[in-house]
Amino acid sequence: MTDEQQAPDPPVFDAVVVGAGPAGASAALALARAGRSVVMVERGPFPGAKNVYGGVVYGRVLDEVIPHWWEQVPVQRWVVRRSTMILTDTQAVTLDVRSQAWGAQPYNGMTVFRADFDSWLAQHAIDAGARLLTSTVATGLLRDGSGRICGVRTDRPGGDLRARVVIACDGVNSFLAKEAGLLPRADATHMTLGAKEVLALPAGVIEERFGLGPHEGLDIEAVGGTAGVPGGGFLYTNRDSVSVGVVVSLNGLAASGRRPEDLIASFKAHPGIASYLKGAEVKEYSAHLIPEGGYSTMPELATDGLLVAGDAAAMTLAAGIWLEGVNFAIGAGLEAGRAAATAIGTGDVSAAGLSGYRRALEASFVLRDHKRLRLAPDLVLSDRMQQQYTKVLCDIAEDLFTVTNPQPKPGLVRIMRRVLRRHRVRWRDLARDGLDTARTFR
Amino acid sequence: MVAVCVAPTDLRPEVDDLTGTVRSDLRRADLPAAEAAALEYGLRIAEEWGGWVLVACCGSAAADDLLREARALGAEVVRVGTAPSPTAGPLGPLGPLGPHPVAPGDLAGHPAATAAALAGAIRGHGQPALVLCGDRSGGAGVGAVPAFLAAELGLGQSLGLVSVRTEGVGRLVVERRLDGGWRERLAITGPAVLSVEGAGVRLRRAGLDAVLESAGAPFDVRSPNGSQTPPGEPVAGGMHTSASRPYRPRTRPVPAPTGDAHERLLALTGALSDREPARVVGPLTAAEAADELLAYLARRGYTT
Amino acid sequence: MGRWADISFEARMATVEFRVSERAHIVVDSDVCRSCTTKVCVHACPADLFAPTADGGILFNYEQCFECGTCYMVCNSEGAISWTYPDGGHGVVFRHG
Repeated sequence: MTDEQQAPDPPVFDAVVVGAGPAGASAALALARAGRSVVMVERGPFPGAKNVYGGVVYGRVLDEVIPHWWEQVPVQRWVVRRSTMILTDTQAVTLDVRSQAWGAQPYNGMTVFRADFDSWLAQHAIDAGARLLTSTVATGLLRDGSGRICGVRTDRPGGDLRARVVIACDGVNSFLAKEAGLLPRADATHMTLGAKEVLALPAGVIEERFGLGPHEGLDIEAVGGTAGVPGGGFLYTNRDSVSVGVVVSLNGLAASGRRPEDLIASFKAHPGIASYLKGAEVKEYSAHLIPEGGYSTMPELATDGLLVAGDAAAMTLAAGIWLEGVNFAIGAGLEAGRAAATAIGTGDVSAAGLSGYRRALEASFVLRDHKRLRLAPDLVLSDRMQQQYTKVLCDIAEDLFTVTNPQPKPGLVRIMRRVLRRHRVRWRDLARDGLDTARTFR
Repeated sequence: MVAVCVAPTDLRPEVDDLTGTVRSDLRRADLPAAEAAALEYGLRIAEEWGGWVLVACCGSAAADDLLREARALGAEVVRVGTAPSPTAGPLGPLGPLGPHPVAPGDLAGHPAATAAALAGAIRGHGQPALVLCGDRSGGAGVGAVPAFLAAELGLGQSLGLVSVRTEGVGRLVVERRLDGGWRERLAITGPAVLSVEGAGVRLRRAGLDAVLESAGAPFDVRSPNGSQTPPGEPVAGGMHTSASRPYRPRTRPVPAPTGDAHERLLALTGALSDREPARVVGPLTAAEAADELLAYLARRGYTT
Repeated sequence: MGRWADISFEARMATVEFRVSERAHIVVDSDVCRSCTTKVCVHACPADLFAPTADGGILFNYEQCFECGTCYMVCNSEGAISWTYPDGGHGVVFRHG
C-alpha cells in the first residue's frame, strides 16, 4: 500500500485485479491480507453492477477469510428448501429437500442481489488495504519490451496501470484471457444464456406460498420447461421478490428461433410454476452468459504475469442437480491472490512462478469438483436427457400413481417397458446413459 | 473561483405502486445529467478564466465516491454533511407535496436551508466568480435551490440555461430555453448564479492517476449550522404556486376587415366563404382510406 | 397461449437502468450480414437490439445492451459484429442481478 506512493510515475502495483466480482474481490482480499499493493479495476459504477446469477451463493468458502460472515452479509433469504424439478409441458416430478439446519448457523446457501453482495465482498478487500477503481474498463494487456505481461491498459485518460501480476477476473467474456490467447474469441458451444426476471411479491405472500419462515428461502432448479430448447429454469426467493428465469444452451437457442423472454414466459406459464407467481410484477429483467463447459473447456489458468479466475476461467458448475459458480469464483480468487502474493515474494512471476495457483486449485474443491463432474455438462444438455428422459421419468411417475381400477396395478417393470417403448428409448441407450450418469455423479 | 453545486441522487429509486413509498439507495447514486453538465461547464470556464472549481454538495457521506471523482477532475470539494437517510428518500408516501419523514439534519426538501448551507460552504472557500447548478435536483427537486442560493449570496441569477460559453475572461454568453421554442441569449458579466439543463455537454472523465490519487483522500466536510436546520414540517419545495394555467401563445395580429358592416361581419364569421363540409366516407378498407386521404390532400394543394 | 400478465417488451426494458454512453460499443458490418441467411442475433439477443432491414442488412442498437455477449457468440459470420465493453461507468446497471 505504501511503496507505490513514493514510486515514480506511473505507480507500480504488486498486482492489478481486473473485475471486482466475487473472484476479483477475493483475489484482492488475499493479496491485501498478504501485504501486497493491489488495485481492482471495475468497469461498472460499483461492484456487481454488471453481474447476474441464477440462484444461490454458498458461503462456506468464506469461513476461512471472513469469520462469522453470516452476521454481516447482505443476504436476502437463507435457503432451507431446495427443489429439483423435471418438467414436461404438462407434468412435473419434483425432489423437494428441506432442512431447517440450513436456516441456522453456520448456514448453507443464501439468495442475494449481486449489486449488494459483490459490493460487500469488495469492501472487505478495500478494508484489508486493496484499492478499487470503478467506472474503468481494462481494455487490454500491457506488455514490456520482452513481451511479458506487465499490467493493463484502461480507458481512462493516461490509463496504463503497471503491475507485477495481472489477475483476470473479468467474467465470461474475458477479453484479457482472449487477448492472452487462453480463451477462444467466441465459443457458443459451451455457453448457456441465463435470462431472468425479478418479480415483486410481498414477503408475507412469499412465505405463505412457498411454506417459508421470515428469513427462509426456496430455490427451485428445473430441467426442461423451456419450450424444447435444451436447458432449464430456476426460481428463487428474495426478501420481497422472486427471481425466475431460464438457462438455455446458446446454440440451442440460436437453432430454435425463440426469443429469450418468450422462454421465460413459457417457464412461468408451466402449471407447476404459474401459481407461485400470480400477481407478481416485473421489477427488473436481466441476462448474462454462463460458461458451462466445465473442466474440459477451462483455459490455461496461468501464463507469464497473468492468472485467470472465476467465469473468465469457466469455473461454474452446471451439473444438473448442482448449480454453483459464485463459490468457485471466491475459492479460485482467494487461491489466485495467494499464489500471486507468493510469486511476488519470490520475485518469479513467470508461468512457473505462478504455477502454485493451479496446484492449489487441484487440491481444493474448485478443480476437484469440476474434475469429478467433468462429464456432467454434456450429459445434462444432451438430446436424450433433455428431450426423452424428462418425458420418460414424468410418464413413469404418472403411470405409477395413476390408479387403473378395476385393472390391477401393472408393476414398475411393465410401466417402464411401456413408457420406454412409447418414447422410443432403447434399453441399450438407457443402460449406457445410466452408466454414464453413474460415472459422472459417482 | 467557480462554484458548482451538486447533489448526487439515486436516479432510479424504487417506487411502491400501491403505497407510493419511495426507496432510494444512495450507494447507487449518480450525478443528474444537469449537474454533470454544470460541472463540465464549470471546469471549462475555470480553464479559460484561469480559475479553479469548487464542488459543493449538501448531503450524506453515501455518495462520497462521486465527489472524489469530481476531485479527480481537479476540483476542490466541500460537503455539508447531513444525517444519512439511507432508505427514506426525498419523497414521502404521498409524493413531493405530501408530508414526508425527514431525518434530523436532512435538508432534502428544504431548498432554502440547503441553499443557506451551500452558500456558507462556498463562502468558506472564498468569493465565487460564478456559481453553477443543475436546473433541478435529481430527487424531488423543484429547481428552487439556485434561486435561494442567489438570494443568499446576493447575486444575480439566470436559470434553465441550455448553453454556456465564455467570451473572454469574466464574460459569458448563455442561452436559455423559453416557451414555444424560443431562445433567449444573455451576456453575463460579474458574479451570478446560473443553473443549466442537462443537455449539450458530457462530463469529462478523470485521468487514471488523478483517480488513484483521489480515492480515499479526505476533503472538506462541514456540519450545517445548527440554527439553520429547518423545523420538522417541510415546505413543499419552499414555493407557493398561486396559479397555474396552460401556455398561451401571443396573439398574432390580423388586419381588420374592411367594407361596410355586412361585409365585415361576413369576413369575420366566414359565413359565405367556400368551405368543404364534413363528409362521412367510411367504413373503408385501409387502401380506400389511404386513397381518400391522399385525394383530400391533393385537393387542398398539399400534394402535387 | 397460457401466458398471463406479461408486459410489453418496452415496459420490460424500462425496468433496467442504462447509463448510456455516447460511443456505440456494438458495431455491425451490414455488408457481411447481407450474406447471412440465419441472422440468429435478431432473435437470440435478450434485449432485442438487432433488427433486419429490407435490404438484408442488420440495424443495431447499443443503448439498452445487457453486455452479455450473446450476439457475437452466436454470430456465424466472423467479423460481422464488433463488440467491446461500453466506456467505464456506462452501460447497464443491474440492481437485482
